[in-house]
Amino acid sequence: MHAGSSNRLKRLVAAFAALLVALVLVPSQAQALTTEKATARPNEDGGSGVIGGIPTRLTWEGVVEDGESITSVTLTLPNGASFDNSTTKVTVLDNLTRIPNDATATPSGNTIAVKLSDPAKAGYKLRLEIEDMTFPSEGGDVVVNGSYESAGKTQELAPSKPIATIANTWLQQMVSFLDAQPWVQAWNSNQFLGMFLKPQLILTSLFSLFPGWLVCLGIVVVAYPFAILLGLVFALMKLSKFRVVRAIAVVYINVLRGTPLFLQIYIMFFGLPMMNINIDNNVLGVIVMAINSSAYLAEIFRAGIESIPTGQYEAAASLGMGRLMTMVNIILPQTVRRVIPTVTSDFIMAFKDTSLLSSVGVMELMMFSKNLTSVTGNMTPYVTAAIFYLIVTLPLIKVVTIIEKRIARSERGGGPRPKAKVADAKQDDEQTPAEPEGAEATLASALSAPFRAGTSVFGGVADVR
Amino acid sequence: MHNMSRRSFIKGGSLLAGMGAIALVGCGGGQQPAADAGSADAAAADASTIMLVTEGKLTCISNMYFPPFEFMDEKTGEAKGFDIDLSRELAKHMGLEANWTKESNMGFDTLVPTISSVDYAGGKATGKADIAIAGMTITDKRKQEVDMSDPYLDSNQSLVLRKDSEETLETLNAEGKKIAVQDGTTGEEWARENLTVADAAKGIVKLDDIINAMNGLNSKTYDAVITDLPVAKYQIETEKNYADLKVAEAIPTGEQYGIAVSKKNPALTAAINKALKEMVEDGTMKKLQVTWFGSEV
Repeated sequence: MHAGSSNRLKRLVAAFAALLVALVLVPSQAQALTTEKATARPNEDGGSGVIGGIPTRLTWEGVVEDGESITSVTLTLPNGASFDNSTTKVTVLDNLTRIPNDATATPSGNTIAVKLSDPAKAGYKLRLEIEDMTFPSEGGDVVVNGSYESAGKTQELAPSKPIATIANTWLQQMVSFLDAQPWVQAWNSNQFLGMFLKPQLILTSLFSLFPGWLVCLGIVVVAYPFAILLGLVFALMKLSKFRVVRAIAVVYINVLRGTPLFLQIYIMFFGLPMMNINIDNNVLGVIVMAINSSAYLAEIFRAGIESIPTGQYEAAASLGMGRLMTMVNIILPQTVRRVIPTVTSDFIMAFKDTSLLSSVGVMELMMFSKNLTSVTGNMTPYVTAAIFYLIVTLPLIKVVTIIEKRIARSERGGGPRPKAKVADAKQDDEQTPAEPEGAEATLASALSAPFRAGTSVFGGVADVR
Repeated sequence: MHNMSRRSFIKGGSLLAGMGAIALVGCGGGQQPAADAGSADAAAADASTIMLVTEGKLTCISNMYFPPFEFMDEKTGEAKGFDIDLSRELAKHMGLEANWTKESNMGFDTLVPTISSVDYAGGKATGKADIAIAGMTITDKRKQEVDMSDPYLDSNQSLVLRKDSEETLETLNAEGKKIAVQDGTTGEEWARENLTVADAAKGIVKLDDIINAMNGLNSKTYDAVITDLPVAKYQIETEKNYADLKVAEAIPTGEQYGIAVSKKNPALTAAINKALKEMVEDGTMKKLQVTWFGSEV
């Protein structure tokens, strides 16, 4: 087809021939059926290992040599491996064309005998896919041996390249234990429970989804400080006196808020590499999340800043403060406290939105659970993923509710009054204002204010006294 | 409830026989036919009754990013492709109408679970679809979850590279290589099984669909794509959608596509197999193959 591929093919054939010579020389016997490869499907949940003692699939391929024809093949695995209860798909191929063949496979312990209805002719490739066989549970490198029948004579097969397998883990043993429990079987026989809440899968997916959860958290935790900084910059730009600066901020915010995050992810992940900018997937994920969140945060901050009464500006001006000083010392600390609930909600959104990164191959929680679902054909990994998301979001939702209640109370003028606090000081030290009279509100105290009981969230500097 | 299921059972049966009148009698609840006297479960277990989600229609699901087998028309968003045409012909041969809607497009990895979770209690099909037809290779693993029809097309895997790429299947099996595959496909399995070094280094990237994989390869996000040979050939050689990509190597796997049907609906599988056979005999299959692949496959 292509010059390149035929060259490559030649190289491949040459390399293969060399290997063949090495293999053939050892038994010093002409091979009529050449072992081409033996591979096994990874059966480690969310991993790439082949675990012994758990069903998997062995794929074996051999090519019939010139002038030969093969009627049957027997594969043999080391002791401890089992072909019992396996099913075998036999494919006979002439290059890319299937040759019809009704083959029968007879598994027995660690050997399986495949009989072909029509002999496989020279040049044909024989492909055996043995589903639900198990490797020895102690693991190790497994070599597929065996024999074949050609012209009525039985000959030894050249051993395959070893397949690396790993020993059965305690987790897998737990699963096997669950498999045997009657209540688990009864539970799983219910279509809904078995499909969404299969105990074995909950157990294994808790472990295999964990790295994905860490990636999710990592991305959003790293991205968020940048998002806050960027958001603040654009909020201030939008409030600027200069029209051009305002316009830039408006375009930035509106474009990002007006387009789906999904689309932004696609543009960044597929667009940047086209310009030969190659950034690590996780880093790019952080960048996309930070940029997207910054637009929402800019709007939150802008609304927060604008909600501060003009009186505050006037009071600051009357004290002789400049514009910058007013902003930094008077307006922003008050804004911070007002926007904390909305910012937390946005953080929750951003955390959940990391799931969209799975569509471009970032190995995060959603990706792990999708892989697991496609491997197992069961929805349970998605439910486990939901648990992982909730571990983060539920406490945050609770925090938002508490802060909102506090703010609402102080807006109503509820909560302990400053005088009452002095009276109760012995009872509750926390409620005594930490700052001496006339002290400026620091950013730290502003940030922590909604979490401390008793401090009025609303008034800013004057109220802290 | 009991009445409902009995009625639909009879409707299903009469549909086969082509006698609508019996349904009316059944609704009236007058004389009970012998089969009808049994429990609702008896109806479900009756292997000769085709149960359909929507009566008179063969409701299909697929993953619409797999040209030329199934894809969406750029302008109308309608389902198109070899499998879509096949399903329409199939339905016609069965005296039904193929039902493709906007909801027919699903993630490839969810197709088998969706079909296997259709409920047939009381002889009445409750679920999303009757069949999944999605260039789906018949494997023993899938056969454990659903019934697969007789094969309707032979396929193989392929290695897709950029034209300037010097990679081979050997050089790709290394750390740091990124090989894109479609999630839940035999291509993914082949890659994970054969490119073990790359897989251990998380180099096998599983994507929702093959279009993403090819776009990513085109933009150098990935080093290679492993996918079904007919799809690669169609996208690169027939449609010339990717000027910078090439089908570098065909990987002989001899796999065959089949249609997924619920294990609880054996009559439907049998009817589909019968219709598939008829389509081969009356030349419909050949016509479809010429339409979509330019020649018989």
